Amino acid sequence: MSIGYWNLYLVCVLCLVSYYLIIMSHKDENHNLVETHEEIVHEHTLFAEPIFNLGDFYVTNSLMNSWLVVLIVLIISLFLKSRIKAIPGKIQNMLEMIIEKFLEIFDSVTASRKRSLKFFPLVFSFFIFILLSNWMGLLPGVGSVGQVVSEHGHKAFVPYFRGGTADLNTTLALAIIGVVASHIFGVVAIGLWNYFNKFINIKAFLEIPKKIMKDPAIIIVNPIKAFVGLIEIIGEFAKVASLSFRLFGNIFAGEVLLASMSAILAFGLPIPFMFLEIIVGLIQALIFAMLILAYLTMNTSAEEH
Amino acid sequence: MENLIETFHIDIKLLIAQVINFAIVFSVLYFFALKPLLKVMRDRTKKIEKSIDDAQKIEKKLSRTDEEYDKAIGKAKKEANIIMEKANIMAEEKRQDLIKKAKNEIGQIINKEKEQMQVEKAKTLKEIKKETADLVVVSLEKILEEKVDNKKDSELIRRMVKK
Repeated sequence: MSIGYWNLYLVCVLCLVSYYLIIMSHKDENHNLVETHEEIVHEHTLFAEPIFNLGDFYVTNSLMNSWLVVLIVLIISLFLKSRIKAIPGKIQNMLEMIIEKFLEIFDSVTASRKRSLKFFPLVFSFFIFILLSNWMGLLPGVGSVGQVVSEHGHKAFVPYFRGGTADLNTTLALAIIGVVASHIFGVVAIGLWNYFNKFINIKAFLEIPKKIMKDPAIIIVNPIKAFVGLIEIIGEFAKVASLSFRLFGNIFAGEVLLASMSAILAFGLPIPFMFLEIIVGLIQALIFAMLILAYLTMNTSAEEH
Repeated sequence: MENLIETFHIDIKLLIAQVINFAIVFSVLYFFALKPLLKVMRDRTKKIEKSIDDAQKIEKKLSRTDEEYDKAIGKAKKEANIIMEKANIMAEEKRQDLIKKAKNEIGQIINKEKEQMQVEKAKTLKEIKKETADLVVVSLEKILEEKVDNKKDSELIRRMVKK
């Protein structure tokens, strides 16, 4: 895994460097454009651009892509629903194999098949949604078919589709759902009072008079425990931030990388990077799902310090 | 924070839209694909486990039945042997008995026959004697042509026969 991380890290750095190079070159071009007002700018923005609006709700190209993902999942699921049988066919066999492998991996995190099965639908949904969103961003036509809008006096190219996870809104939403779900599961698993004391540790203070005779060190240990609990609150926000920015950063960087490679030489050169991005999309989906699973496992197990 | 929202265009409406998207994906996947699929897999696992369990039970039962069968067969063989022996002994006894009886009967028959023969012989002898005497008497009468009185006659005959 560490090798994978290193590779990703290198890729990210590479992407950022190339991204800045492109931005710089575009900026130069932009200056030219402002003067000439003729050339169309295709700039990779950090945010998803709006395509059309429903009232005051702007539908962005990333949202369009997410809807496409939802549609695909809907169609596949409905297709599967009528085909699930006790004696599996080819498709079902493959799916079952995938599910079995996932459950095996989950078991290594949760250490119990029962809990793996409980978390499986949610975590697997994350995996599927993110994987499809990542790969949808790589399809030909995504990011290259679009409309030209003029803003601030110059024409800009806005693609109709942009990878769903190449928008921070999507990744943030997913991260928030994951972390909130882990809290809900935690409360259900160990009770509201126990769960509350994981963060604001009133119990630790209540324990002091009871145990001080037996173990005087408790007067120092328990306030530290309480302080650790407070840090955990910050940790929860850090979880959301790290999850969302990791996914967004990787996928966005991938798109920029592909765009810059196409800009250098559109034929042949982007192919290895395309494969790389397919792998990155898979790995990022897996990382996201496994981290959510780890949070779920952590929050549903009682405190063991 | 403001800067962050500005840079990444974080929009609460988009966020909610994506939450809804994920909720749809989750529920669709869960209710249409994963739930039935997991149920089928679980049922199958249970079924297979049950089958293996049953097979083991059947095997155990079978081996037990085999044992019982062997035992029963052994017992039956032993019993049959005993019965055969008994039957043999009985048959032998009966044979001996029969032989003895037959011997007895044969002996008896022989004795009776002997007796009868003795009686017959005596009778025949008597008759022969009588006949002979008569014959002698007749012949003597013929020879002598004269009849001595009965008493003398028979005395004479007896003397002649004794000679």
